[in-house]
Amino acid sequence: MFSVILYGRNDSHGYNLHKRAAISFNALAEVMSDPDDEILFVDYNTPDDHPTFPEAIHDTLTDKAKKVMRILRVRPDQHAHLRSKTHLVALEAQSRNVALRRSNPRNRWILYTNTDMLLVPRNAEESLSDILGGLADGFYQVPRFEIPEMLWEAAFDRRDPAGNLAKLREWAVRFHLNQVVHNYMPMKYDALGDFQAALREDMFAIHGFDENMILGWHCDSNLAARLALYRGRVDTLIDKVFGYHCDHTRVAAANNKGRATRMNDQDRFIWNVASPYVPTQAESWGWPDVEIEELHLDRDTAYQRFTTGLDKAIKPATAPFTGTSLEWQLFEDLTYDLPHTLPFVCDQVVTFPRSTAVMMVAARADFVTGFAAAWKGMGFTGPILIPEECEGLPGDLEGVERAPFAEQLPKADMFIFEFGLPTQTATEPVRAGRAMAPLDKKRLKVVEKLFKRAAAAEAETRPPARRVPRRFIGVNVIYNKFWTTFTDYVGANINPFCSQVLAGLPREDESLKGKVLRFRGRHAL
Amino acid sequence: MREQSAVGDERCEDQTKLANGDILQAVIAPLARLWRRSTSAAVGLKPESAERHYRDGVLKVRGGDMDGALAEFDKALDRAPGFADAVLARAELLDGQGRCEAARGEYERARQLWSEMPAGAPDRRYLFRRRGHFAFEIEAYELVRANVRNKILPQLAHGNALLVRGRAAEALDSYERALRIKPNLSEVLALKGEALSALGRYEEAIQAFDSVLAAFQADVETLNGRGIARMALGKLAEANDDWRRQLELLPQAQSSARACVAMRQGNNEAAFHSFGLALAKEPANAYWLLYRLTAGRLTGAPRDPVAVPVGAQGGAQWPAPLLALHAGQATEEDALARVDTPCRRTEALFQFGVLALAGNPAAARRHWGEVVERGAPALIEYAAARNELARLGS
Repeated sequence: MFSVILYGRNDSHGYNLHKRAAISFNALAEVMSDPDDEILFVDYNTPDDHPTFPEAIHDTLTDKAKKVMRILRVRPDQHAHLRSKTHLVALEAQSRNVALRRSNPRNRWILYTNTDMLLVPRNAEESLSDILGGLADGFYQVPRFEIPEMLWEAAFDRRDPAGNLAKLREWAVRFHLNQVVHNYMPMKYDALGDFQAALREDMFAIHGFDENMILGWHCDSNLAARLALYRGRVDTLIDKVFGYHCDHTRVAAANNKGRATRMNDQDRFIWNVASPYVPTQAESWGWPDVEIEELHLDRDTAYQRFTTGLDKAIKPATAPFTGTSLEWQLFEDLTYDLPHTLPFVCDQVVTFPRSTAVMMVAARADFVTGFAAAWKGMGFTGPILIPEECEGLPGDLEGVERAPFAEQLPKADMFIFEFGLPTQTATEPVRAGRAMAPLDKKRLKVVEKLFKRAAAAEAETRPPARRVPRRFIGVNVIYNKFWTTFTDYVGANINPFCSQVLAGLPREDESLKGKVLRFRGRHAL
Repeated sequence: MREQSAVGDERCEDQTKLANGDILQAVIAPLARLWRRSTSAAVGLKPESAERHYRDGVLKVRGGDMDGALAEFDKALDRAPGFADAVLARAELLDGQGRCEAARGEYERARQLWSEMPAGAPDRRYLFRRRGHFAFEIEAYELVRANVRNKILPQLAHGNALLVRGRAAEALDSYERALRIKPNLSEVLALKGEALSALGRYEEAIQAFDSVLAAFQADVETLNGRGIARMALGKLAEANDDWRRQLELLPQAQSSARACVAMRQGNNEAAFHSFGLALAKEPANAYWLLYRLTAGRLTGAPRDPVAVPVGAQGGAQWPAPLLALHAGQATEEDALARVDTPCRRTEALFQFGVLALAGNPAAARRHWGEVVERGAPALIEYAAARNELARLGS
């Protein structure tokens, strides 16, 4: 019957975002009763190494919310062409259009709202699907009522949407919450963007939201203006449903700077609107030709992929614990525990697109074998690119491609550099003062040289269509001789030694030292 | 959550600054508002008309006199029981007073009344395809344009509501005000063309449409409007050219629009095919059924059995009487007895011609001649009749 369209990203937008959003997702799912109903959440521009926002809070969502939710992930690289034009990190019009294009065509209605809204049917026996199913064609809005922060934060149970809706029915009367704030036409109400129900067919006819609106605010008013022209009327559903907003003004959100807030031009996008249509984006709105990843919370989750991948690569531990050490005298010892390290490496990659091509420059053959098994088990379809310069590594594994380093460099979306000892065996003790063998030195020299070249020349060697820097993952680069090497070139955080892994983007260091390092890296000096 | 709507003061370009001009504006603004209010008056409404009472009710709501407003809405509904805008306004008042049970049925009644109103032809400009009285919109945008000055949308939306209500002269005034703000704005120029056309000023309408099409050759809605104006002037070939071009540009998915524009230009084969597709999408649309039968008759396609819809209390809604005519279940007199508007009379006369054509071409010519003589040029039947008459050599 209807597709709810929401957007956001895995960040901290306003006060107690996680609770507000969980309350809202669960409440929206609660008022759905048609099998075609769906919540489309566009996760816009979350960093590639993070899970999407709903994945990050999935444990607070009800089974029903997980079932009806489709997550459409817009990657930073897909946003990059707009980055220089806006101060915002999440774009409403683009997000909502991406979802509209991909919404269930069997649904007659599209409902635009936000991730802090609860919709309460006035007749508790009716679902929102029932309500929308009985409506004539049109464009419908409801007024937004506010819930004081104390109430929703203190009294709502995230996983009890029915209880929360019941509480709202009581609070509305007890605390005088229901105040309708009228507004000029075509807006009709204040905060109209928290409930705008339009026909899917109409939204396609008017070319979706206006994607020129990239400075934030007033997208809802622009939509109201255009749909009011197109439909002639803005109808109300106040007799059927009340909409409640979890107020979150204790802390201003990133796009709220009081009177200094930058926003879309009201004159251009509201008062001087002259047509329902946006003909300049008639063919391009919602990015119809862009492949957008779709994720679910009730199946094929990142956790399931992660565990499936690792189960292919490592066996359960046979001892209660193992040991290593970061004592200084062991600084030169490059042994590490592979089964312990592999989960932390996989953790760095599992949120990336499945089509990612990863370049693997490694010293240990067993690392490559283990990672390749996990990579395939996690459902990645992109290749593992291993330069021919790396000797002693298996070349016959499924999904592994061997070619000269320079040839593979512009094909890679991500890099893994592993600084282990090729001569380390599976049974020998870790960090017990082991010295490097000549073979170890020879192979590690190659790894180090290729690492420096890749990091120094990252910007120039990106795949042609790629606009954002590629991520470098360093394995076994904490508290050993390769720590400074890695962090000279890559802006990595300080990580616990136990994880064995550092990751980040190439440094953009314009100091003399940075320039010298890049020069040396490029020329393998 | 991420972006609330806030329609702030339109005068504040940079809201971080309070310049001397703003201070002056703050002093002058209340006086200006008072002046604007005094200039706002009902235009063209008879003192005791339903619309006048509705308007008075709206003003009383704005002034906080809810009981007075309720009385005005009641008077409006006494005069026009099917006035959905008044029904809804009354429902909202009752609801706000806590009389929710009484309000509930009224909300539903308003929606029902709107949904029963005829929609316009889908090949026409967006504003003609809607259902409604637009009394609320006329009042609401009157208020907006008095307060949000020198902006396009308030004038344009006000004009659209008036034009669809048949108040073309007032609509034209709104569009011209918008054009004073931004001269030659194509979207408004096109609407001005529609208003001129509705006023019978076809040459001027064509000039306006020409300007728009010079800038946007693929503007299908303007092609449609110009075609209507050209046809009204008897320029058949030019009108048909516009509609042919419109048909080429309309996507296949818009089958009902394609069907209507094909029928206007007398392309009955294309109309027959597209009305079939439109009917598959909207099986309950009696007009698509009627027009498909019409196009089928005119092309000599094999006739399907006609299922005449039956409405409540045994009397089906328009255009069921015309379907009954096609099915041989009603006479011309029966159909004319159900005619309650000039447009429906035109529709009936056109169908009489269609049914007469095979056996009595002279009668067909006579019926279609009356369509052309008396019908509104914007009707599909008007253009179709002109094309059929041309085919008959008239």
